[in-house]
Amino acid sequence: MTGGAMNRLVPFFREAFATPLAGVLSLLACALTGVLAMGAFKWLVLTAVWPWQAAGACKDLAGFCWPFLIEKTRFILFGTYPYALHYRPALVCLILCVFAVVTCRHLVAAAPLLSARQLAASWIAVIVASFVLMGGGIFGLEPVDPVRWNGLPILLILSIVAVALAFPLGVFLSLARVQSSYPLLARFAAAYVEIARGVPMLTVLFVGIFVLPLMLPEGVGISPVLATLVALVFFHAAYFAEDVRGGLLGLPKGQDEAAKSLGMTYWQSTRLVVLPQALRRSLPSLVNSIIGAYKDTSLVVVVGIHDLTATARMSFGDPAWRDNAVEAYALVAIWFFVSCAFLSGIGRTLHRNTVS
Amino acid sequence: MIPPSAPPPQTTKLRALDLAVAAGLTALLLLAVVNIFLNMSAAGIAPGYGFLVQEAGFDVSESLIPYQPDDTYGRVILTGLVNTIFLAGVCLVLSTAIGVAVGLTSVGPSPLGRVLALGYVELFRNLPKLLVLLVLYVVAVNGLPHVRQAVSLGPVFLSNRSVNFPVPELDATALIPMAVLCAGLLFCVLRSRSRWRKGIVADWKERCLQFAVVLGLPVLCIPVFAVHVGVSVPELKGFDFKGGGRISLQFAIIALTLGLYHGAQIAEVVRGGLQAIPAGQTEAARALGLKRWQVIRLVILPQVVRIVIPPMNNQYVNLIKNTSIAIAVGYSDLMSVTGTIINQTFKPFEMMLITMGLYLGLCTFLTTVLNRFHRRLTERETR
Repeated sequence: MTGGAMNRLVPFFREAFATPLAGVLSLLACALTGVLAMGAFKWLVLTAVWPWQAAGACKDLAGFCWPFLIEKTRFILFGTYPYALHYRPALVCLILCVFAVVTCRHLVAAAPLLSARQLAASWIAVIVASFVLMGGGIFGLEPVDPVRWNGLPILLILSIVAVALAFPLGVFLSLARVQSSYPLLARFAAAYVEIARGVPMLTVLFVGIFVLPLMLPEGVGISPVLATLVALVFFHAAYFAEDVRGGLLGLPKGQDEAAKSLGMTYWQSTRLVVLPQALRRSLPSLVNSIIGAYKDTSLVVVVGIHDLTATARMSFGDPAWRDNAVEAYALVAIWFFVSCAFLSGIGRTLHRNTVS
Repeated sequence: MIPPSAPPPQTTKLRALDLAVAAGLTALLLLAVVNIFLNMSAAGIAPGYGFLVQEAGFDVSESLIPYQPDDTYGRVILTGLVNTIFLAGVCLVLSTAIGVAVGLTSVGPSPLGRVLALGYVELFRNLPKLLVLLVLYVVAVNGLPHVRQAVSLGPVFLSNRSVNFPVPELDATALIPMAVLCAGLLFCVLRSRSRWRKGIVADWKERCLQFAVVLGLPVLCIPVFAVHVGVSVPELKGFDFKGGGRISLQFAIIALTLGLYHGAQIAEVVRGGLQAIPAGQTEAARALGLKRWQVIRLVILPQVVRIVIPPMNNQYVNLIKNTSIAIAVGYSDLMSVTGTIINQTFKPFEMMLITMGLYLGLCTFLTTVLNRFHRRLTERETR
């Protein structure tokens, strides 16, 4: 063992058993870690069925089944989307992920790649492109029914597109709530935000799936995917509005008054002075809300949209693979863990930037 | 010196515009409602709440209040609401216990414990609750044996259908000690409140005595009034357990999921609260000669509780809302009976108004109670 590691390990263990309480806690933690590590080792290594083994070997063993993942990963990712056209959802996932990462970099980087206006414009292009690629029907792309939009692309569309659309709506709601020239509008905005934040997301999804089609004039239909998207946009907007309102209320009143005394109109002062500062202040809590929104997108399973969690469930519904539920869910869990950890990292950086 | 100018006159133009915007929004809402009524009558469904008194005709997975399939829809909703409240209550206690334990460990003296606590928090903060629920459910259903080979943990039996445990067996005579206990508690609360107003604070010995009397009197009642005390233990008879208490596997798994999920978030809240207390507070209290336990009880805890209540309030509201994921494993909570009722009656508009109203009411009630508690604590501080 090198000297450096020793130098760090010795105080670590000395602290771990410094007092009786610390010792008991450390022993408990050790025991728990040991049990978990042993279980994981047995499942992942000792009893695992390796990729080169025959699929039939999974039947009797309780270990991790690699042949299952080899067989079903593509299904878990894209579900029942026509097999020959899988390049299209794959492309959608790629552009959505790339633009999400670019946007995150934009928030934390000192010299962003694109200006805010370019970013907004490219988001519109990305959203249109994802729907075109998924649905087809134009540019000679074979049309695909939204019912067959499954797995990762639908998760990304419903989370990223919903967040991208809910954000401007949320900013508008928060502005409407804090201004004083339109008291009735402020009341409406406040009531909307409070009600939406007081009910579970599932009720809002139910409203989107069951009530929204009834609200439309006769003869106008709406696909479940689109109805879910609309419900998600309206739901997340309320949370974003609350975050942005926090930033707006935290801003010294002098900022707005100074802008007004320079002769700026309401929109000029809001756009150039108030919002940039308020948004920067509310970014850490906004990122938290976005992570929450992203994780909660998995709830669309309940209203019959087949996102990643649903395709994982379908993949072990196949009688041949009935015992491989945990492998399927592990794949989904790794995806969520990695993407959420990335977002949390962005949130932490933003928090550091605002504090310093 | 320039005299201060008069405030600018209120512009009436803006008021008119405000009214116009509000009227537009209301009109939009009305249009949506009118469309709903038109679409429903086009589909041959009469709008209205008449269905609430009709026979529901479907069974629920479990119920805390008596319920039969031939009861009304109104009764189903009540059953779901009671189940949701019960689930929320259990999850609230469980997640708080987990959260406080993990939160304390994460700032505790053991570095190994800190690492483990942080790992737990990171894991559950980065996974969707639905995924946690589905994984735990699948593992429990596949991993636990059938009822007839139920795993026995002492008198508690685990199977892939339910958790069976012994419960105390009580009859009407049990009301006597319970009434005595309630009266004692009420007396103590009223007494300490009136004494607190006069500025008298009970000391340790007095509190212990009070505690002993309040608990001791009901226990004394048991032999005096010949109260029947028994324990009902679950026993395997035929295909299921007879006697004892039973909670379904679904309920146990949802409670565990939400307990773990919100436990991780509450742990963060507790950790934040503990770290927000400057070290100088402890040092000053120690320098005044307070003992370690007194420092915690008199200096640290009151401050932490005050910091922690607003974010906890937020967590508890989220928890109540998140009980609705129970629908994914088929526990008959409010959300799940709502789904069934909508499918049977096709009255989504009426039903969603009820369900959202009930959830909103639950969340508002909890927020109000906790806000009042918080205000009282801060008032006491500024006295």
